[in-house]
Amino acid sequence: MSALISLENITKTYVTGESEFHALKGVDFQLQSGEMVAIMGSSGSGKSTLMNIMGFLDHCTTGRYCFSGRDVSRLKDDELAAIRNQKVGFVFQSFFLLPRLNALQNVMLPLFYRGEEESSAKLKALNILEKVGVRDFITHKPNQLSGGQQQRVAIARALVGNPEVIFADEPTGSLDSKTSHDVMQLLIDLNQQEQRTIVIITHDKEISFMCPRVVTMKDGCVA
Amino acid sequence: MKLTAHIKEALLNLSSSKLRSALALLGILVGTASVVAMVSGGQLATNEALKQFKTLGTDLLAVSINDVPNDDQTSHSEESLTLQQVMAVTQTEGQIRDVAPYTQLYNPIQYNGHTLNGAVLGVTENFAKIVHVNVVRGRFISSLDRYSPFCVVGHQLYEQMKAISFVDPLGKQIQVGSDFFTIVGVADAWPDNSFVYANIDSAILVPILASTALSKYAEINNFIVQLVPNANIDMITHHLQQAVQHYVPNKRLYVRSAKELITSMGKQSKILTVFLGLIGSISLIVGGIGVMNIMLVSVVERRREIGIRLAVGARRVDIRSLFLIEAVMLSLVGGISGVVVGIVIEYIIAFLWHWEFMWFFWPPVIGFSVSVAIGIFFGFYPAHQASQLDPIEALRSD
Repeated sequence: MSALISLENITKTYVTGESEFHALKGVDFQLQSGEMVAIMGSSGSGKSTLMNIMGFLDHCTTGRYCFSGRDVSRLKDDELAAIRNQKVGFVFQSFFLLPRLNALQNVMLPLFYRGEEESSAKLKALNILEKVGVRDFITHKPNQLSGGQQQRVAIARALVGNPEVIFADEPTGSLDSKTSHDVMQLLIDLNQQEQRTIVIITHDKEISFMCPRVVTMKDGCVA
Repeated sequence: MKLTAHIKEALLNLSSSKLRSALALLGILVGTASVVAMVSGGQLATNEALKQFKTLGTDLLAVSINDVPNDDQTSHSEESLTLQQVMAVTQTEGQIRDVAPYTQLYNPIQYNGHTLNGAVLGVTENFAKIVHVNVVRGRFISSLDRYSPFCVVGHQLYEQMKAISFVDPLGKQIQVGSDFFTIVGVADAWPDNSFVYANIDSAILVPILASTALSKYAEINNFIVQLVPNANIDMITHHLQQAVQHYVPNKRLYVRSAKELITSMGKQSKILTVFLGLIGSISLIVGGIGVMNIMLVSVVERRREIGIRLAVGARRVDIRSLFLIEAVMLSLVGGISGVVVGIVIEYIIAFLWHWEFMWFFWPPVIGFSVSVAIGIFFGFYPAHQASQLDPIEALRSD
């Protein structure tokens, strides 16, 4: 079975004036559908850069990126946006919910950008919110939710469009240990029961131990 | 369909930061209100001025006979038209319906030992009808009066006389020079207009023949001509000129028509309106700059929000639409409220100056359309800026 994500010799270089900074120096990486992998590394190892490229938030400088067998290395901004909308879901350390919208509206947002009808979008959002366990809080705004609840809403938002892969950047970074454990358990359940492909970026060894596969990054290379 | 969703989204965002939205649209509101109020106010003023002429009717000519200026300045021709000659001249012209000649004198007027300020106008019987003088008490001058010493007093003089003697002036006598005139009528207040070269409110009206007997300076130098509708004014002017020349060779005719006065006033008011509109537009532009300012600040403050939207799949055009629609909504609300405020101001102007309030179509429409256009124009740059943000950079902002 061909890989969902296939990265070949990916480099990412930032040019600032005269100097160059090599964030990624020739990374090879493959991800199968249904896998759950943790990408470990200290700060500056390039793990977030790798996620940004995999998640279509950024382009690689050189190298080849195939997604579901399609070469997506040099896509234009609008095409990237379309893939982000359809194939990928994000979960961030700081949750990144829109503060002026309530939980339900936040979860409906990706569907809005897909051009989906409001009533069917609402239905899908309610289902997902039920699944992650925050059905009682759908009218709450983010500032009325605890960290754990916000992250659950964020996970719901990442799931609502039925993406092929979910990228979670330090998902438990802002949570206490018990809530972290609960959120990780939710992600593990999603992977095991629904075969969701999940990539978790973390510097926390405890978190990486909970994942079936661990890839370590150091200085822009896979260690 | 997506447009309505965008509009809902924009309204949601705007209403969740009410103070900022209110401040942004305040500029548009003031700008639109000033355009509407100034242009409407200008129109009201013009209408008031035109009213005077319009009540007289557009078929009037004011004819005055002046001396032809000579080099030596000394020749004031002693000749002037007689009443018969005036009637003869005007009766031959088919398009003239009626004519009211008049004389003007400024002899001192005495009543009960007091001196009053006022003119002495020698008029004919039809003067009242043509020039719309209403007699509230007694009667007007009649053609039967001829040289008889009767007079009608103007409204203002009447009030002054009542204050002097506390007795009803009607029937009493008024002294002009060494002559006495009996008051047979009182005129109602007469709206001053510059078409007739006299202020009737502070004048006494005497029979025209009697006035010529009063003083050698009482010349028939003015007459008001009433024409048939749509008369050929140039042709009539030409005929009158020739006829008058026939009788009094050294004089020149000067003809003013109510119609051309109204037209020229109309032209002037158009220029005034354009200027006022331009001034109002300047404040509208300033309002637009205010909207742009607020939108730019809003874009900077919402960088992270833009990043999140990009991350969940918004395209650049979605971001641009979001901010552009917000700007347009602000302008719409500002524009509509500005029109309402502008009309209220117009009403206040009409109330304070005792003018007639009117509903105008173009000032609100123009004010509103320009405000929306301003919103789109000044909202475009911030919206474009927002759409060009890099998602990762945007997400990193705080």
